[in-house]
Amino acid sequence: MLPHELTVWRGPVMIIAAKEIKDSLRNRWVTVIFAIFMLLALSVTFAGSAVSGTLSFPALASVITSLSTVSVFIIPLAAILLSYDAFVGEEEAGTMLLLLSYPLTKRQIFMGKFVAHSAIMVTAITISFGLSAAILLGFGDGYLWGKTLSAFGQFILSSSLLAVTFILISYLVSVRSSEKAKAVGSLLSIWFSLVLIYDLILLALLVADLGSTAQVIVNAMMLLNPTDIYRAINLFSTGTQFGGVALLTKSSLSSGLLYMLLSIWVVLLAWLSQRAFARKAI
Amino acid sequence: MSELEPAVRLAGVSHHFAEQRVLHDVELVLARGTTLALLGHNGAGKSTLMKMILGLISPAQGQVEVLGQRLQCGERPTSIGYLPENINFYDKLTGHEVLSYFAALKGERSTRVSQLIEEFGLGYAQHKPVKSYSKGMKQRLGFAQAIIAQPKLLLLDEPTVGLDPQASQFLYSKVNQLRDQGCAVIICTHELNLVEPHLDVAMMLGRGRCLAFGSLAQLLAQSELGVQITFNAIESVVSKHAPLAEFYHQGDLRCSISQRAWLIQYLTRECGIFDFDIKNPCLADIYNEKMTQMQSCNEQGLSFTSSISYSSNWSLNNVTP
Repeated sequence: MLPHELTVWRGPVMIIAAKEIKDSLRNRWVTVIFAIFMLLALSVTFAGSAVSGTLSFPALASVITSLSTVSVFIIPLAAILLSYDAFVGEEEAGTMLLLLSYPLTKRQIFMGKFVAHSAIMVTAITISFGLSAAILLGFGDGYLWGKTLSAFGQFILSSSLLAVTFILISYLVSVRSSEKAKAVGSLLSIWFSLVLIYDLILLALLVADLGSTAQVIVNAMMLLNPTDIYRAINLFSTGTQFGGVALLTKSSLSSGLLYMLLSIWVVLLAWLSQRAFARKAI
Repeated sequence: MSELEPAVRLAGVSHHFAEQRVLHDVELVLARGTTLALLGHNGAGKSTLMKMILGLISPAQGQVEVLGQRLQCGERPTSIGYLPENINFYDKLTGHEVLSYFAALKGERSTRVSQLIEEFGLGYAQHKPVKSYSKGMKQRLGFAQAIIAQPKLLLLDEPTVGLDPQASQFLYSKVNQLRDQGCAVIICTHELNLVEPHLDVAMMLGRGRCLAFGSLAQLLAQSELGVQITFNAIESVVSKHAPLAEFYHQGDLRCSISQRAWLIQYLTRECGIFDFDIKNPCLADIYNEKMTQMQSCNEQGLSFTSSISYSSNWSLNNVTP
């Protein structure tokens, strides 16, 4: 290993990240997240076709659609539960004050936590849903390697970006909260609004049939919600054309643009949460 | 850092949060190898002062120099150990893991962790989660964390709250050990009786101002509190020795600190009294006196901070207790 690499691995960011991972393992969050994702992946893969009255491996588009429909609820919730107390928890315990008295920068503390929480979520997503892809390719009939890997690759990538988005939303709330209970309450409200209420409002707008202007507004509003962008990416990857979000896939938007929008969310939230932490009075 | 350089130098430090002034023109020179007791009522500005020394807050006015380094905004001085008040370490991690984490952040080796765990008597519980530790064990762990990188300046915020007498004694013995090795120690506490035998100098803060500073002897000399001397048949002795009459008050002899030596000499030589009790004012008495004076001055709209010398060098070299 190069000396520079050694410095990075033994640097404060990695030391903090290693401690955060160890702490999450002891808190059983990692186990719970892995178990939920694994259960979700296996149940959709093996029992996804049961709703249509047969027991066989479902079509690729159906697997991805089912997975993304459930994941859009589960992934943000798992990310919130993993990281809601990242800052407010340490503040309540008094360890944040202690950490800040060490020769560390706030950026290093932030990055250490971010690396750990992102690594946990991305690993859980990759292993669970990667296993689903492996089962389909290994035991299913008629699954094309290229198409399956591309669909699952996109699903894993978009799920990881969604997880990172909600980790950063949790950080923002955690930094601004004075108590852990308040942080959880605020985050669950955000989750409920973005995942459920937001789409219901959009659906109401669509049903109201306010003409082409309303359609443009609805499309624009969908792009302002990371969970809708996530849904749209996965509909794009399978070419599915149903559901409210499918309206986006019918528009002139490309898959690349949707990834870019989700990435903009990540960058914006990273900037906002880090700025909030940097400005937070001790 | 030069050996002659003070551990902490505060020059005209003032600070405010929004409209509220929390520190007003505080001066301090703390020599190496000195223990300072930082005393004051809740909200007196002690925590703000500690945060400034730690480099967590920059003063609105004045200068802070720590270990010879003038602190700029956001700059953290190295070689500082700190134990915050009421800290709850990561309770799912073991004591060894917690200490290893903080050691790694300060670039210390794992051998230092093992050494400290043994030194602080935590060897038997080092692989148990911190949540199973008693208050005393957690505080020992916290103290071990604070001194893990052999600091030149140690700040302890209420280190003995909730500890049994034995645990407090252990903690202060470690403080004395470090001080003897040249480490400057600042202890912020409300437990005046515990800190009194171990302090070299004390600083009393009241509403953001320094009310008093100095060694115990200096504080006593500045104080208007008297020494109380009692013995059997005091009334008959006083009636036989006219000079004692002016000290007699409600069944005791009372005098100022400066008169104490003369009075004891008089009692032993002139009166032949050798069996008597002397009650000197303690730190708590001085503290209460200063706080009462501050309150009455505030009520009258007067200032209560004139002519205080803030240097621990001066106090240690010039006053003998």
